[in-house]
Amino acid sequence: MKPALLLAVACAIATPAVSETFHWAGTTDPNTMDPHAGNSAPVLGFLNNIYEGLVRRGTDMAIEPSLATSWEPIGNGEGWRFILREGVTFHDGSDFNAEDVVFSYQRAASEASDVRSWFASVTDVVAVDDYTVDILTSNPQPIFPDSIANWMMMDSGWTMASSADLPAPGEGNFATLNANGTGPYVLAERQPGLETVLEPFEGWWGEERGNVTRGIFTPIDNSATAVAALLAGDVDMINPVPVQDADRLDGVDGVRLIRGTEARVIMFGFSQDKDTLFGTDDANPFLDVRVRQAVAHAINVPAILQTIMRGSAEPAAQLVGAEMNGFSEGLAMRPGLDLDRARALLTDAGYPDGFSFLLKCPNDRYINDESVCQATVAMLAQIGLDAQLDAIPVSNYWPELREDNYDMYLLGWSPGTFDAEHPFRFLVHTPQDNIGTWNFGGYSNARVDELIPAIQSEIDPVARQAMLDEVAATVQDDVVYVPLYIQPLLWGAADNIELTQRVDNFFILRWVTVE
Amino acid sequence: MTQTETPPTPAPVKAPSRLSRAWHSDLAWSFRRAPVAMISAFVVIVLVLSAVLAPLIAPHDPFNPATLNLMNGFTPPGEANAFTGDFFFLGTDDQGRDVFSTILYGMRISLFVGFAAVMLAMVLGVILGLLAGYLGGWTETIIMRVADVQLTFPAILVAMLIFGIAKGITPPEYRDQMAIWVLILAIGLSDWVQFARVVRGATLVEKSREYVQAAKLIGRSPLSIMLRHILPNVLNPVLVIATISLALAIIAEATLSFLGVGAPPTKPSLGTLIRIGQEFMFSGEWWILFFPAVTLLALALSINLLGDWLRDALNPKLR
Repeated sequence: MKPALLLAVACAIATPAVSETFHWAGTTDPNTMDPHAGNSAPVLGFLNNIYEGLVRRGTDMAIEPSLATSWEPIGNGEGWRFILREGVTFHDGSDFNAEDVVFSYQRAASEASDVRSWFASVTDVVAVDDYTVDILTSNPQPIFPDSIANWMMMDSGWTMASSADLPAPGEGNFATLNANGTGPYVLAERQPGLETVLEPFEGWWGEERGNVTRGIFTPIDNSATAVAALLAGDVDMINPVPVQDADRLDGVDGVRLIRGTEARVIMFGFSQDKDTLFGTDDANPFLDVRVRQAVAHAINVPAILQTIMRGSAEPAAQLVGAEMNGFSEGLAMRPGLDLDRARALLTDAGYPDGFSFLLKCPNDRYINDESVCQATVAMLAQIGLDAQLDAIPVSNYWPELREDNYDMYLLGWSPGTFDAEHPFRFLVHTPQDNIGTWNFGGYSNARVDELIPAIQSEIDPVARQAMLDEVAATVQDDVVYVPLYIQPLLWGAADNIELTQRVDNFFILRWVTVE
Repeated sequence: MTQTETPPTPAPVKAPSRLSRAWHSDLAWSFRRAPVAMISAFVVIVLVLSAVLAPLIAPHDPFNPATLNLMNGFTPPGEANAFTGDFFFLGTDDQGRDVFSTILYGMRISLFVGFAAVMLAMVLGVILGLLAGYLGGWTETIIMRVADVQLTFPAILVAMLIFGIAKGITPPEYRDQMAIWVLILAIGLSDWVQFARVVRGATLVEKSREYVQAAKLIGRSPLSIMLRHILPNVLNPVLVIATISLALAIIAEATLSFLGVGAPPTKPSLGTLIRIGQEFMFSGEWWILFFPAVTLLALALSINLLGDWLRDALNPKLR
């Protein structure tokens, strides 16, 4: 008792002002430190602390100046002109200027980049002078600045010198384990899967920053372990809190629950461009829209929300939630649970006895992802479909999907622009060099492909909404995806931690203050 | 003609005599005097029988997804579900699976892995121990030094290493089916040392006995001497170690599965069930963790107690 008390007093005396170490834990380790090699929230969210873009999102999610101080459209929708901030340096001391922007564009828009879809409409990036950059687009892009908040700037000198000129999402390169940004924190230590340490960048241009002098991120894939670590005081913040522990955590002294709704929609996708089922010579039944409709009618979403998600999530009917810009009000109803209809649809499609297929799921990416997939296996079994579940860690998940090792898969999508057009561009457009890059299933519809660029360049909100509604209706009619629910945002933090929760589930260290 | 058929066959007389001989044996006598052993044996028999007969006893088939109703999820034990009104003796887990049924099926896998792993360890250990003890020389040095080196690592670590290597070389689509066999291999290979050391020690003693010398003199081959003469005389301690190893193997399997490197969730063993239940430890659904854990405890404890009793009963010094 006494030594422990003494120790506590000693700590209390030692800590003030000198150093504030902040430990946080999440389920998913960012799989790369390269901001152009991973278009996923764990990667982009984490790297927002180290790298910066021309613009960034504030606590209210609105766009604000970052490495660019101002921007304006060029002429009649030919592009955008950005005026860069002067006196900004990278962590290694080199200056930031227009050359780095041009380099970062070439790198991020390259074939190897995972974020090249952001630049589908960009024709060129020109350095007008050292601190002025013109981004030229093939058609008017009214929300372009909104769409590049996560386009992070890399130093051309550092990147070339370390032979990381191009992102290498698969094999990795120097930039996978090292970072050199302009952001508020420096990557002090990186041990993939174990621990990643951030320390403040003394030469940062910005002023508003919390008092954390050492931020330590630890991936903890078992959610119960994470809760135990928070309750024991081993970590100061966890993301996410498992839904089953949310209420309990709320009632514990010393910690608190921060609840929100994430912009992320969880959905099932299908293989729609392969002739055969995975690993067989059997014809692919998911090519038939009636089979996809049957799946949609067989999944009991209210039951999933009631039990697995414990009432913490909202059902979803579209690829975005109702809070997002461009949501189609008239299409807010999900297909209802109707097993008889589902069986009839399967019979019509020629599968009265069902069939066996591979269902691929991550087991450490979304809240209760594996449980949701297990429950889906049981629900599909009611209509005779025999889903073979393969639940794997997210580090192997995306490569497996890219190699077409699935028949049906689970996907969560959070629109980076907070606009309904975002998922259409990534998930619905026919996969081409820099658009439709996350459309694993390979759905292709000429009319949709025609509408998406038109939506991007349309300035009149009414005409834009009409086109969004048309695409949303097509996506529902063709059952391109089966949207399930909008994921809840549940963070747990010690009471002495001040922080701001972003609806895209990004954790911003400079908004953290330890009291 | 009729008289030739009458000579009484010896069998009906011999059978009861064998039974009564077993009943009056030292082992049975000591068993009847040890209540702990009797209770343990009873628990083991009940658990093993219910595991073997799981398909007949279990009220639900937890591996048939078509019979599950998600709305039954998290039903507490002994209460009716608030939505469906269904009743479950030991409650349900997050997927609406009956916990009682999953325990019965899980125990099948735990027991199977345990038995098979001990069999593997025993066969391997006895053969290597006999060879080392009887042949001596370089054979003995190599076998026993390998055993010594392996003893310096914790058995569970060796098992994890073997499991990791085996997982690395099996193609991903067969991993789930292979998991059980890999477990058996991993636990069996990590456990042979105990058998080998004991058998070698006993063989060294027996080797110098007169009956072995005599067998050598009349020209029996070394193989035949090892198997026909020495082996039957070193089996008593092997039986004791096998019983205690069974409890350890079941716990080792549960540990591996709990750590997520053992039986997959689609074929859960008791350890896998405990791992799944552990997620709900903080949220009040105690039964998902508690009942599989208690079953594992009862199983491992009774086998261990039975092994302890067997060791004492077979020890001539304590008789």
